[in-house]
Formats: sequence, structure tokens, C-alpha cells
Amino acid sequence: MKRLLSMLLVVCVLLSTGATIITAANESKITVWAWDPNFNIPVMDEAKARYNKIHPNVEIEIVEMAKADVEQKLNTVLASGMREGLPDIVLIEDYNAQKYLQAYPGAFADLTNEINHQNFAAYKTELMTLQGRIYGVPFDSGVSALFYRTDILAEAGYQASDLNNITWDQFIQIGKTVKEKTGTAMLGFDPADGGLIRIMIQSAGEWYFDENGVPHIVNNEAIKEAMVTFKKIVDADIIKRTSGWNEWVASFNRGESAAVITGCWIIGSIKAEESQAGKWAAAPTPRLNSPSSVNYTNLGGSSWYVTENSPGKDLAVDFLKKTFAADEDFYQKILVAQGAVGTYLPSLDGSAYTEPDPFFGGQKVFSDLAAWIEKIPPVNYGLFTYEADSAVMVVMPDYLAERIDIDGALRRAEAQLKNQIFF
Amino acid sequence: MTVNPKMPRAKATRAKKRGITLHDKYGWLFISLSVITLGVFMLYPIINSLYMSTIASRGMIQQYVGLGNYRRLFGDTVFLQALKNTLLFFGVQVPVMLILALIISSLLNDKSIKFRGIFRTGIFLPAVTSLVTYALLFRMMFSLDGLINTALLATGIIREPIPWLMEPFWARVTVMIALTWRWTGYNMIFYLSGMQNIPDELYEAARIDGANKLLQFTRITVPLIKPIILFTAITSTIGTLQLFDEPMSFSSGGVTAATIGPGNSLLTLSVYIYNLCFKYMPNFGYAATVAYVIVILVAVFTIIQFKLAGDRR
Amino acid sequence: MKIKNILIKVLQYTFLISVFVAAVFPFYWMVVGTTNTAVDIIKGKITFGGQFFHNFKTLFAKYNVAGIFWNSCKISFFTVIGQLIISSMAGYGFEVFSSKTREKFYGGVLLTMMVPFAALMIPLFKMIVRLHLLDTHLGLILTTLVSVFLIFFFRQSFKSFPKEIIQAARVDGAGEFRIFYAIVVPAMKATYAAAAIYSFMTSWNLYMWPLIVLQTNEKMTMQLLISSMSSAYFPEYGMVMSAIMISTLPMIIIFFRLQTYFVQGITGSLNQ
Repeated sequence: MKRLLSMLLVVCVLLSTGATIITAANESKITVWAWDPNFNIPVMDEAKARYNKIHPNVEIEIVEMAKADVEQKLNTVLASGMREGLPDIVLIEDYNAQKYLQAYPGAFADLTNEINHQNFAAYKTELMTLQGRIYGVPFDSGVSALFYRTDILAEAGYQASDLNNITWDQFIQIGKTVKEKTGTAMLGFDPADGGLIRIMIQSAGEWYFDENGVPHIVNNEAIKEAMVTFKKIVDADIIKRTSGWNEWVASFNRGESAAVITGCWIIGSIKAEESQAGKWAAAPTPRLNSPSSVNYTNLGGSSWYVTENSPGKDLAVDFLKKTFAADEDFYQKILVAQGAVGTYLPSLDGSAYTEPDPFFGGQKVFSDLAAWIEKIPPVNYGLFTYEADSAVMVVMPDYLAERIDIDGALRRAEAQLKNQIFF
Repeated sequence: MTVNPKMPRAKATRAKKRGITLHDKYGWLFISLSVITLGVFMLYPIINSLYMSTIASRGMIQQYVGLGNYRRLFGDTVFLQALKNTLLFFGVQVPVMLILALIISSLLNDKSIKFRGIFRTGIFLPAVTSLVTYALLFRMMFSLDGLINTALLATGIIREPIPWLMEPFWARVTVMIALTWRWTGYNMIFYLSGMQNIPDELYEAARIDGANKLLQFTRITVPLIKPIILFTAITSTIGTLQLFDEPMSFSSGGVTAATIGPGNSLLTLSVYIYNLCFKYMPNFGYAATVAYVIVILVAVFTIIQFKLAGDRR
Repeated sequence: MKIKNILIKVLQYTFLISVFVAAVFPFYWMVVGTTNTAVDIIKGKITFGGQFFHNFKTLFAKYNVAGIFWNSCKISFFTVIGQLIISSMAGYGFEVFSSKTREKFYGGVLLTMMVPFAALMIPLFKMIVRLHLLDTHLGLILTTLVSVFLIFFFRQSFKSFPKEIIQAARVDGAGEFRIFYAIVVPAMKATYAAAAIYSFMTSWNLYMWPLIVLQTNEKMTMQLLISSMSSAYFPEYGMVMSAIMISTLPMIIIFFRLQTYFVQGITGSLNQ
């Protein structure tokens, strides 16, 4: 008897795990895939709350997972050709935009006529354009800046004007003096991280490829100067070597480095160390010596895309249209709450942006960043950014250790990159 | 047709007269569930992936290339590096770990050692510690000014901090240490379970005959748990040749990192497959090809190990 | 002679203790982590803090931890039972009833173990969708039901089981299945214990496949939760550690209960 009962119990539980509710395409539901519970997710939550105020019957499910997982799931579902298992809206990193658009033709909804892309920063719209059609809704900006500790720089004898619109060579010089006079390193630096390279080459309006998508590393003055500068920074001994994200953040949180040069999304991590409030400032990113390089560039950033074959497509488009593509107040809110700098131009002069920020000594940081967004040189990231990044950074240890010279490094990098673009 | 020689003659002849012997019938019955399930869930995916390895693709845009993918392997510097790294991990880490596990198990099998239960649990704990936790901790401990360097400097063993995760050579060493730390206890469990089947009387008899612990270990323990040693050798081979988790977690920046480990020193074949599918331009066909390289490697090493162990295969 | 013995003992214990400390330290660090703030954890604090309740409270407030934990338990429970039964029967069948044809099958079965999962993921996904098993725990359990590792392990273990006992039972007139579950299985407790540990561990820690199969938040497992929590720009490590601790607990409990089987000698198990 006991056996029978326990078997029955097992069957019941099994049945409950197998219950698949096969519903018809639920047209008042939107599924969103995104990552980062401290940044993208709360932003989406805010958009969801605002949309539900005007459309209370729409259910918006935000599925949170790791960034790599979003890409893994998305690729698997799209590659299988199955229509089930697709989200309605998905967050895609800008470096990957063209890759998805071209690898899975027809998988994403054409939003050219739905969204007024003129309202968004040019550099964002450009990267989601394919054959004249625009596919996504731009989201956050990775506009970069030179964030620095005013107190440490002052101790070394520098003021804000000394760091305004400088070149990398000037930056290195300043770094040496700072190290000398205060003993603090200028930058937390991961020799395996290619972020700085990307910052430098985009500032010159260049990328790893030419207009035709052909690998363009060997004769690329911007990349050459970027790698040479990278090495100069290491050789000048003005860095605190770190490995991985946490160590890097810890280096400025712990005051072991005086500056951070990266995308504006780092502000959240800078502000995490409350004891440093009031001691930071932001200056434009240093530029290369090359005449085509400016003091404005970008690192990272992502945008929202709608899948073409999902059940809730029309609803999803409407949702994005009314929130990310229209609501200026929304952008003020997410700036304050998450430090998310949007690329919706009308919102960039909003109240939150023009607030002086006490953490940055009263500087209107976001206003400055907003002004710089519009000056970022647009670049077509192409299809193979990660392969290119890898090709360049693979030769970096050998180049830094002087086992090969710069031309050798460029040649090897380009050879590997060409090899990776087999088909 | 193998007939059990110990079976009484009459039963054997009777069994032979039926179409299928009892031996066969039960053989199929016992393995049926597993073979059927495997057939359903593995056969199609494996055939499909074999087919995919003859295709070059960019996401959904595909082109048949026959053996082109296989030919590409030879000139692919990234693949060759991944191959080298994978073989390095396999050749060095697996023997070290298995020997360590054997030593620990024999110690913990020795009834004269006290607190065995505590040691057992503690040494097994790493296998249960989540990847996220220990990757985080190890990276902190092995950073330039982390615990390990501080301790080594303090005791005078080294004079300058070792760039554990910043140089190719040391990065590999760190991962090998991590792997050994993680899986030794796990293999220990299998050895211990095998050692339970060795009667104490055997050790008693040997002791009376004057054999010391070492001789007892090599002459009694090891031979009697040979099937288990073979098992752990093969599963460790497969695990290391398919190594994925540690290289991913220990490379700075994880998935969005430019290289896996400094200069791609931690790039293994499995990670390359992952990159080919999800990080780079998705080329599932080529990824399948690399996957079959792993299969071939594993098959080769497995057969070698089976042969060495004297199993009839 | 005595001194030599003492020296050996000291060496043995020193060795064991160092291995023990090295093995346990990260676990200790994790427990400490549940009591600290994220910033402190990153700075490398190894002493206890006061954030224990705060971390757990935030964790439970933000996520449906109980439900997710139950999901993992449910999936692992059925997977372990299924794997133990199917794999041990298969291992037994291959070993005790070996034949030339079945050896070939065995080779094929072992071969499937060597194919990396990434190669099989997409076609498997297609199958799951077509079978309407997407986003179900049943689909997850069915696809992981056969563990070739365990078939291999059981077969190797059965090699050292004395065949004479099976013979004697046959002569006594016992049926094959009865021999299996009444005589062989009880005698191999240590083997089943080890297998159960392996099975539970792999099932509980499974990551990539559940990631692909499960779609909605209610179906999530602990591993998926931990992963998504730790991939933020600035993860709340205190909370992550708490989730990890909850996730690690079942494994430890199971190991604790099962490890008594490793101390059993052969006495008393083969006396029937």
C-alpha cells in the first residue's frame, strides 16, 4: 500500500513538472531578455511601470540572465530556426549589432518607419543600419571620459584646465609627475584588456576594418598609434596592474590609482566608494596625435531590438516607441537612479542632466557627457569586432615584452584576423 | 555466443535450443532503457552535428564545404593554440591530480588515522564549492598583491611577486592549481568506494607477512582498484580535454574578454567552440568540426588507456 | 623504530591537514562573504561582518528563492533516481551478460560521452521544441536521464563483484532481476553512494542546458539565478554568496549522509 501511494505521488509530481501550457500566441504579453540586475533591468522595470500606466492590461515579463547567456540563448534559438523560445525584445551590445543583423537576416524587425531615429545620437543609429533600414532602438551610451581624482592631481600640481582636451602623450607626462610627487599610479590597467585600444581608434574615426569590411590593421595609422601608446603607458610605469573587472574597480575604489579612462557606465562603480565623494572630476578623453583623432569616443553601449517572428512584436514596438523613444522624463529618472546615460537627444538637456553633481565637486558631469555624445565619431563596427579584438590582444604580450616590434605585431594580428574570417 | 561455462550442462543445451539464450535476453533487457533513451536523445543530434561539420556558416547563411572545415584547422592559428593549451592541461594536470587523489584516499582508508570523516568531508568540499565562488576567490588570492604572493614574499620563497594571471605561463599554472584543488577530492571519493571492496583480511595477512604500508599499497590496493583507477583516468581525460569552466572564469573579463587568459594562454578547445558559436560570428559548422577534433582526441587517449589497463576492447 | 613511526605519523597528519585547510578555505571564505558587503568582499576581507541578515533578506525580497530552490531540488531528485536505476542496470547488463554485439553497443555508448555538449545543443534544442518540451522540467529531466559516465562507472564497479555469488543464486532458482535488486544492489552500497553523489552534483550544477531549455522566470534553477546575479557591472556579492550558500547546502547534506557508506567494509554485505 505504501509503495502504491508513493508511486502515485511520484506520478503526480512528474505530471506537474510536465505541464506545458500550450497557449495560442498571447498577444497582450511582451517578453524582454536583458542582463545586469543593477543597470538594464531596473531601467526596463521603470519603462514597464510607465507603459502600464497607459496600458494596464499589457503584461511585460523581463527575464534576467547573464550577458553571455542572453547571447547564447539568442544564437541557439535563432540558429535552430524555431519560432518558439524567442523573446519579443532583446538587449544587444552595439559591437554585436551588425553581426546579428547579417547572420540572421529577417530575424529582427525593421523599425525605420516606426521610430524617429533622428532623435537619437548619430553614432548609435549608424551601427544598427543595414542596407538603408534601421533595426533597433538605441539605449545607453558608452561615451567615455577621463575621470580623475582632483585631490591627487592637485597634490601633483595640476588643475582642471591642465587635463582638458589633452593628448595621450600629455596624459602620460602628467601620469609620471603624479607618480613622482604623490606615489600613486595614474591608471588601473589590465594588459589583457583591449578596451583602451578601442577607445583610441574610435576617437580617430577608425576601426579594425575598412569601409568594405576588409581587415585593415597593418596600414592602419590609428591602430598603430594606439598600440604604441598602449605600450608607452606600460613602459612609463604609471599604472597599477590589475587583472579582471573586480581588481580594476578596486584599484580606484581603494585610491591606488588616480584616474579612470573608460565609458561613462563606470560612474556607478566610482560612486560606490562613498568616502571619495566630492573628489572626482571628468575631462574629455585624451586623443591620439593623429590629426583625425578627437577628444570624444565611446566604449560599449547597447540597444534594444525587436524580433520579427515573435508573437508580441507589434505590442513590443509600441512599448519601445512610447518609452525609450519618447519619454524624456523617463531618461531623467534612469540617469539619477541607475546612472544610465541615454542617447535620446531631446532628453539630454533635461533637469537631471543639468544638475551639478556633488560627487564630482559640483561639475555638471552628465551635461558634459551629453555634449560629448554628439561629437563621437560614428564607426561601423562590422561583423568581426571580437575576432579583431582577440587578434590584436593576442600579440600584445609579445609586443609589450619586446619579443616582436610594432610592425611585426600588426602583421601577425592581421594574419590571424584574416584567418578567422574564413567565410 | 558466449555461454557461461559455470552453467550446468543441461540448462546450457536447453538454452541453446531456444532462439535466444537467457543470457542474451537478459543482456538486452538490462541495457534496453539506457540504449533506447540514448538513441532518442543522442542519435539525431550527433548525426546532425556531423553533418554540420561539413558546412561553413555565418549564422543562418550556410555553404557546403565538405572537408573544407577540417582542412582549415591546420592553418588556424587560434585552433592550434587551443589544441596546444588543451593538451598541456591534459598531460600535466591529470596525472598530478590522480596520483594526489590516490595518496589521499589510501591515507583516509587507513583505520589508524583519526578524524577520517572530517578530512573526507573537507577534502571533498571543493568539488561542491560553486564555480563562481572559487573563481572569484582564487583570482583575488592569485592577484599581484593577493594572499599567495604576500605569503610567498613573507616566507622569502620569492623575491618579487609572481604575475600569476598576467603572464601566459603562470596563468596556466594557476588554472592547473585550481583544477587540482577542485577535482582531487572528487576522484578521492571514487577511489575510496573502490577500496571498500577490499577485505581487511588481505591487509592483515600482508602485514603479518611483514609488508609495510607502501608495499601493501602498491601490491594490494592499486591492483584491486584498477578498474576504478581506469575509470577516473578516463573521466579526467574527457573532462580535461573538454575543459571549459575554469578557463572562462579565470580569464579577465570572462566572455567579453579579448583573449582567454593573457595572450590566449588559457584558450581550450571547448572555449574556442563556444566562441565560434556565441562570441564571434556564429559559425556552427566549424564549431562542430572542432568538437569532433575533441572526440577524436578523447577516443584515441581512451583507447590507449584501455589497452594499457589490459582490458579487452 | 618508534621514532620512525612517529615521524611517519606526523608527516601523514601534516599532509592531510594542509590539504584539508587548502580545500576548505574557499568554502570558509564564502561563508564569511555572506556576512559582508560587496565592497568589503572585493577588498578581500576575510573576517565576519554584520550583513548576514541584510544579505539574506535582500536576496529573498528580490527573488523567489524558495521557488527556484524547489525547482532545482525537484529536477535533481528525479534525475538522480532515473540515472541510478537506468545506468546501474545498463552497467550490470553490459558486464554480467556480455556478448560480442553488446560490446559494440558499449563502445558506441562510450563514444557518445566524448562528444562535447556544445556540438549537440542546437539539434537537441530543435528536438525539444518539436516535442513540445520547451520550458518544462520534464524535458530537462528526460534529456539528462542517461548518464554514460555512470554506466561506465557501474560497469567498472561490477567487475569486482564476485560472479560466483550470482551463479549460486541462479542455481538456487532466483530470477535475474531478483538477483540484481535483492543481492547485487545491497552489496554495492558504496558504489551507489558514490554514484548518487556524482549524479546529484552534475544535475544540480547543470548550467548550459537548463539555460537553453528553460525560458520563464518560474522555471529557473539556482545555478541560473546565481549566474545572472553575478554578471552585473557591480554584483552584490554579499547576496550572491548567500544564494551560493543556499545552493551548496543540499550537496553537503547529501554527502554527509552518504559518506558513511564509504566506511563500511565488506563485512556484513555479502553474507547472504
